[in-house]
Amino acid sequence: MQSSEVISVNIWQIIISILNLLILFLILKKFLYKPVEAMLQKRQSLIDKDLESAKEANAEAQSKKKIYEDKLSAADSEAEDILNEARRRAERKSDKIVASAKERADDIVSQAKSDAELEKKRAQSEIKHEITEVSTLLSEKILEREINKEDHRKLIDSFIENLGDDYDGNE
Amino acid sequence: MNDKRYSARFRAVDALLIVLMILPILFGIALYILFTPESQGIEIAGARIYFTIPMPLQPLPITESQVNSWIVIVSVFFLCLYLTHGLSATHPTKRQHLVEWGIEQTQHLVSDNMGEFFKDFAPFVASIMMLSALSSLLTLVGLYPPTSDLNVVGGWALLVFVLITYYKFKCGPIHYLRSYTEPVAFLTPLNVISEFATPVSMAFRHYGNILSGSVISVLVAAALQGLSAMIFGRLPGFLGQFPFLQIGIPAVLSVYFDIFSGLLQAFIFAMLTMLYVASGFPEEDYREKLKRKAAAKAGTQSV
Repeated sequence: MQSSEVISVNIWQIIISILNLLILFLILKKFLYKPVEAMLQKRQSLIDKDLESAKEANAEAQSKKKIYEDKLSAADSEAEDILNEARRRAERKSDKIVASAKERADDIVSQAKSDAELEKKRAQSEIKHEITEVSTLLSEKILEREINKEDHRKLIDSFIENLGDDYDGNE
Repeated sequence: MNDKRYSARFRAVDALLIVLMILPILFGIALYILFTPESQGIEIAGARIYFTIPMPLQPLPITESQVNSWIVIVSVFFLCLYLTHGLSATHPTKRQHLVEWGIEQTQHLVSDNMGEFFKDFAPFVASIMMLSALSSLLTLVGLYPPTSDLNVVGGWALLVFVLITYYKFKCGPIHYLRSYTEPVAFLTPLNVISEFATPVSMAFRHYGNILSGSVISVLVAAALQGLSAMIFGRLPGFLGQFPFLQIGIPAVLSVYFDIFSGLLQAFIFAMLTMLYVASGFPEEDYREKLKRKAAAKAGTQSV
């Protein structure tokens, strides 16, 4: 079998070599670079999508957090309000109760005072009547006669008047 | 993991692709064994011719360089299918990490050396690297490396030259011709010479390195055979015939000439391709031209 020369130039072989290189270029481009680049692009889009959804979820979480914080602070202030209201109401109620109790006590005291006054007056008028009776009796007995009813009344009244004064002053 | 990638079917396809990847190389080895006559001593020759096709201008001999190039191409084709088999955006396998790393590396290399304008050159540069490196590495399985054939490497260099010229022409023929008179007019002959020296130097550099590696390997092996015959020739019987010095020493040379030199030349060829194409392209002027064109278009549209 013969061999070619160590240094030989053949146009067809050169053309074949060029075509070989071009064919290998096309093979690499179509069967290696294209699928890998398509895969890388797909991966990139997946990553982008994930990032996007993560960003969205984050934003949503932030807004929810804000809403809950707002709600929480609103609830706090509401509780404060309710507490204050309850305290105020209780105070008002206790004030009312105390006031009404005082009123009633005053009422009782004044009732008692008026009762006592009435009793006193009654007692006075009773005593006066008694005294009148007694003095009339005594005077009849002393004078042995019935004095003018009119005079008699005057007399006794003035007497009791003086007596009452003395009695009042002694008290 | 859900993954149909662990199904029996998937594994079967994987295995089939690996077999198809290795098969061309085995085919090449078989062809080599069948058609190579027993060597007689030192032999430095070009590629063996399997058959010759009559063509106009010059007959086309189908030699080992062509067949071995096709072997590399078919193997790389199935390698690509194997590597991209079962790509997943979410669950990458080790294989996929490797592919992604490789592709990113070539893309970075291209955009670092050529700029963003040429970033679609990555598959081309990768194909130059792969074809060159794998062709040179065929010597590891005992096959003839197509890169030590001047026609093969010359073809690549010519293609690169066409690319260089194409990108130089981007700003029009006048701009292209004027680029030869820079920096001063009387350097024009030198510029023309250096322009045409580019593909020649690229082709000869690559071809010469690989061929010289083979030549030196053959020479050293022959020399070691002679040396061991001289030293151990007095030993009786079989021991006297056995070339002891050929054990180990050629392997060290092979590491350098076959692996290191092959990969290095592939890298150099790809680097030079990138640098020549990118440096020949007048990017600034081209951008300006595009801008002027866009402005003119806008002008005619508004009128």
